[in-house]
Amino acid sequence: MKLISKTLIYYLLVSLPLLVVAGLLSYFLIKAELRDGTDETLLSEKVNAEKLIRSLKTSNTIYLSSDSLSNIKLSSGSLLNPDFNDTLIFDQEENENIGARMLKSHYTFNGNIYQITLVKSTMDEEELLEGILATFTLVIGFLIVSFVIVNWLLSKTLWKPFYSTLLQLNKYEIKNHEHHHFNPENTIEFNQLNDALNKMMDKIYSDFIQQKEFTENASHEMQTPLAVVKANLSLLMQSPNLKEDEMNRLQTIENTIKKLSSLNKALILLSKIENNQFNESDTISIKAIVSRITDNFAEVIQSKNINLDLNLSEDILVKMNPTLAEILITNILQNAIRHNNDNGKITIESKGNQLIISNTGMPLSIPEEQLFMRFKKNDASKESLGLGLAIVKSICKSNNINIGYSFQNSLHTFTLNF
Amino acid sequence: MKILLIEDEPELRKSIKQYLHQEGYVVESAADFIKASEKAGVYDYDCVLVDITLPKGSGLDIVKQLKDNGSKAGIIIISARNSSSDKIKGLDLGADDYLAKPFDLAELNSRIKALIRRRNFDGNKSIVVNEITIIPEQRQVSVKGETVMLTAKEYDLLMFFISNKNRVVSKNTIAEHLWGDDSDQMDSHDFIYVHLRNLRKKLMDKGCADYVQTIYGIGYNFKVE
Repeated sequence: MKLISKTLIYYLLVSLPLLVVAGLLSYFLIKAELRDGTDETLLSEKVNAEKLIRSLKTSNTIYLSSDSLSNIKLSSGSLLNPDFNDTLIFDQEENENIGARMLKSHYTFNGNIYQITLVKSTMDEEELLEGILATFTLVIGFLIVSFVIVNWLLSKTLWKPFYSTLLQLNKYEIKNHEHHHFNPENTIEFNQLNDALNKMMDKIYSDFIQQKEFTENASHEMQTPLAVVKANLSLLMQSPNLKEDEMNRLQTIENTIKKLSSLNKALILLSKIENNQFNESDTISIKAIVSRITDNFAEVIQSKNINLDLNLSEDILVKMNPTLAEILITNILQNAIRHNNDNGKITIESKGNQLIISNTGMPLSIPEEQLFMRFKKNDASKESLGLGLAIVKSICKSNNINIGYSFQNSLHTFTLNF
Repeated sequence: MKILLIEDEPELRKSIKQYLHQEGYVVESAADFIKASEKAGVYDYDCVLVDITLPKGSGLDIVKQLKDNGSKAGIIIISARNSSSDKIKGLDLGADDYLAKPFDLAELNSRIKALIRRRNFDGNKSIVVNEITIIPEQRQVSVKGETVMLTAKEYDLLMFFISNKNRVVSKNTIAEHLWGDDSDQMDSHDFIYVHLRNLRKKLMDKGCADYVQTIYGIGYNFKVE
């Protein structure tokens, strides 16, 4: 829920009952006030009626109004205190009962007790009350509408810095860190927020840089000691009279160093791709790259007696770094050869902007979703470092290439959407 | 043949020196930028091997200094950073070759030989090993005057053997030389065997002696008495 809607709801939750209570309260107060007014009028009329009795000295009933409701007549009853009543009277013009206020009182003059009945219609007062209520409702409605508008305007202006900060945060990408800066605002709270964000982002960025530099530097630093081992191994191999067992050990050491060094190179490559260090790009013909790489692998493909089916009638032209394009396709193809059966099959075809590489082979021994993860490999392949497809994924990610994998009819298929 | 080796890691310096010394080169070494710069300024070398990351300076500046002074030395950069930008920078400055650590001494040796061959243009244009004659410029091989037709891989293999003759070279080193980074893939050792078998056959068909000794478990030795 948006901040503005929430504020509105809270405001209404508090103000509506208050407004209703205030409305009811004023209704009753005004009503009481109006009744008091009517009663005052009736009392003053009563005084007039008493004057009339005194002056007329009548013994007959006197009608004081056209509807003959208000009257003075002789009464035989006892003296009572003046009594006010709410009553209904029949209005002939309107042909309906209307509310009225009645005053009954007694007056003793010359030994006669007169009953004075005074009736006054309260219709005008009710109309007045209705008018006041209508006005009141109108005012409440106007208040709510104006609150919504004011709130909306406030959120447009007061909250504007907040929303712009939010937008900037959403668009944040670590590689464009330099271009992100939360500007000072004249609202203290937002200024503090932006300050805090700037500090936090800078810290995260410098940690990130350190981390990535560490990975790269550590791998580089390892290359020199590896070179020392390798060089000494070469010299050791030259010694005459090495026994067979010793030679085997030397071979094992050499293979291990080679693997370590490849691992190192692959890690450096990964961190370089992730750090966007391959930034020069060119228009690449995928067809040319594929045929170059298949040529490179021709011997291996032949030795495994793999049937290579190239179907690249339409070339795909992509704008990307040539080295990365080469690595991308090499790794997928290498994978397709390494995990193929003898006498298997590899198909490479292009469809629009799609390059589809499929190969025969045993089903995966690892879950499909781990296929592109680092150091996840089919245990059958000891030669593999488990980084080839991680590199592929990384290249695809940094170049916005969509890569998909499927396994159907014992065919592993990689689909690249350039 | 005089070589200047600029490398700050003492153990690596020692091994390279020893290997090249056995090849009959005179090797001088420098461990930091200042010493390297002094030596490069004072003496003439046929070949300079320079590491990029040095104490007190960058190896690339040594390359620049050599080129500015009009040195005729061949320059090979040996660097722990296998980065294409360093490589391009070095080659642009006038270095002749770039070798990423960890490299094999046999590979370094073959690069030095190739470089020196290219440098001594007006000198000897052919390499003669007993009955084998190679004209590198034309990639032509003959045995007892008769031309032997070799595939590219077989030629590279022969040149690598001859550059490192009388030395044990491992199959890994050969694979890396022939296929570069692609040698990581699977059974490159089997391919070496196939190429070697064909090379041997072609040479021996022309009456060449069998110089290639198999060193069990490790690799081969091109043994020429």
